[in-house]
Amino acid sequence: MAEPLIRAEKLVKRFGPFTALNGIDLEIYRGEVHALLGDNGAGKSTLIKVLAGVHQPTEGQLYVEGKPVTFQSPRDATEAGIGTVYQDLALNPLMSVTRNFFMGRELTTGPQPFGLLKMDEMDRITHDEMVKIGIDISDPGQAVGTMSGGQRQTLAIARAIHFGAKVLILDEPTSALGQKQQMEVLKTIARVRARGDIAIIFITHNEVHSNLVADRFTFLALGEVIGKGTKEELKGKDIRHLMAGGVEMADLEQEIAAI
Amino acid sequence: MSEASQPGTKRTESDRLKKGGTFSSLMRRPEAGAFLVMIVVIAAIAFASEGNAFNPLGLKNNLSVIAQFGIIATGACLLMIAGDFDLSIGSMIGFAGMSMAMMLKWGLPFGLGEATPVTAFFFTLVMTLALGWLIGTIVVKSKLSSFIVTLAFLFFLRGLTEVCFRVINSSTQISGLPDYKEQSWFAYMFGGEAFGFVYDIWFWLGGNLNRAGNQWVTGLDARVVWWLLVAALAYVVLSRTQAGNWIFATGDNRESARANGVPVDKTRVSLFMFTAFCATLFAACQVFDTNTADAAKGNLKELEAIAIAVVGGTLMTGGFGSVIGVVFGAITFGLVANAVFFIPAIDGSYYRVFVGVVLLTAVFLNESVRKRITGGL
Ligand SMILES: Nc1ncnc2c1ncn2[C@@H]1O[C@H](COP(=O)(O)OP(=O)(O)O)[C@@H](O)[C@H]1O
Ligand SMILES: [Mg+2]
Repeated sequence: MAEPLIRAEKLVKRFGPFTALNGIDLEIYRGEVHALLGDNGAGKSTLIKVLAGVHQPTEGQLYVEGKPVTFQSPRDATEAGIGTVYQDLALNPLMSVTRNFFMGRELTTGPQPFGLLKMDEMDRITHDEMVKIGIDISDPGQAVGTMSGGQRQTLAIARAIHFGAKVLILDEPTSALGQKQQMEVLKTIARVRARGDIAIIFITHNEVHSNLVADRFTFLALGEVIGKGTKEELKGKDIRHLMAGGVEMADLEQEIAAI
Repeated sequence: MSEASQPGTKRTESDRLKKGGTFSSLMRRPEAGAFLVMIVVIAAIAFASEGNAFNPLGLKNNLSVIAQFGIIATGACLLMIAGDFDLSIGSMIGFAGMSMAMMLKWGLPFGLGEATPVTAFFFTLVMTLALGWLIGTIVVKSKLSSFIVTLAFLFFLRGLTEVCFRVINSSTQISGLPDYKEQSWFAYMFGGEAFGFVYDIWFWLGGNLNRAGNQWVTGLDARVVWWLLVAALAYVVLSRTQAGNWIFATGDNRESARANGVPVDKTRVSLFMFTAFCATLFAACQVFDTNTADAAKGNLKELEAIAIAVVGGTLMTGGFGSVIGVVFGAITFGLVANAVFFIPAIDGSYYRVFVGVVLLTAVFLNESVRKRITGGL
């Protein structure tokens, strides 16, 4: 197998006396969807925040394309090609699709920051980038507040890709959505995957969702990796068991019955 | 089979966005309400004053007040779109007017000798911009609400203005300064006249006559030009430039703007400096027009500026608004504030009654606009 795009080696993250991550190894490969699974509090969000430069690891090392890197800020991570789509999506509801797409990175002619916006070009790029991953917005001047949750998700993803993300981190992108829109987001993930050059880290609680789109799985429990592998390797294993953090379903049934 | 699922008419999410014609999209613009109110007010005042509000002198006087409102409301509007308030505008007007008049009467500070209109203006501008920067920096660094920080400066600057007057001038008024606009082109730019050609043409066409049959009014106040310049500039910056996108982004969702690399703090501080600039412009036009200054100048102007911005369609919560709407709002407020001079039968205090009613209506209207855009959030 080729060099991973991102490799984390023995990552430890402590918050004071609390060990949120306890020696995590993780490999992210190009063109793959990597599902990060685990119970609430397992450390998934902490792990991706380390990858995104929000937290600095207490111990351990990150490698991007084989080279050791240290991220001091989210900006460093963005420059290294790691794009995070946060749960709030960092979108502004009152602004148009195009103005959101280029927020902070506007295309202009003339002296900064009073350069005139190249609105036509930005409209065209926004439209094209969104079509590529499956949404044909009719009016790029539409306010983002009037879009559906799935469309917003797609906008945030398209924006991250356009501005150079090689790795997309999606933290529970489906958790706040209805059934149909969850499917839209999964389709978007599948389309990004089909490009072949972008890696996706996909955090979810939903076994069905991860099975639908993921190529590789990592299971976290109490800050440690309790299982990992490709879809093939994990065939026949009890994914639900791993997702529950190693708790036996049978035990659980007994416990519930005993109440 | 239902209508929506007929073959060949597969509905997508974007079909749910209702599209209307040109008229309905015009009506959905933030300034639509302000435009309608303005038209009604113009018609009502023209009728009630029997046209006198728009005769040569009426037009000049009305536009003078409108321009004053317009200049400060434009600053207030941009600042509000970025999510902040400036309650110090009125006190800043008083401070700037005091500073200019005081320098003209008593000379420049630090023993730099006699002041000219140019030096008095620029010395003052440097101070007010520095104050704007200070206010903005305190707001940004302390993370306190701009409402409370600028409220503090409302008191601080007004008090400082009065103290300076009493200590240096031993009276809270300055009057009888030389008529600088007669000697200095710079003072004339603020206190002189403009658009004289309009009144000349009006005269040639047979209007604009006084009782003796000569030309009556020679031009509009120069501040009308400043208002149009400030409004045009603000319009272009807000809707056509990168800085404008930063202003909207900062006011809509500050954290997401920051996450996307928008220089949120710089944008906010710059806008506090812009409102200070607008207040200084207001004061300069007043000082060089009347050659007087007074410690009470600008009192309550900050609230009128905010009211005009809101009536112009600017959201109190930031992220949305229109400079054009503020132009309409300023025209409306200026006409109503002046109406008492043209309609002797009414009580001047109706102006504030009107402001109250229009303001409340506008807030409800804006709120419904916001709900529609954000899908009821
Ligand atoms: N900034 C922080 N300070 C202290 N504890 C934290 C912080 N962030 C996360 N934690 C703790 O680390 C653990 C893992 O949290 P998190 O990574 O958010 O879990 P997950 O996303 O898997 O639900 C939790 O017990 C949480 O309380
Ligand atoms: Mg989490």
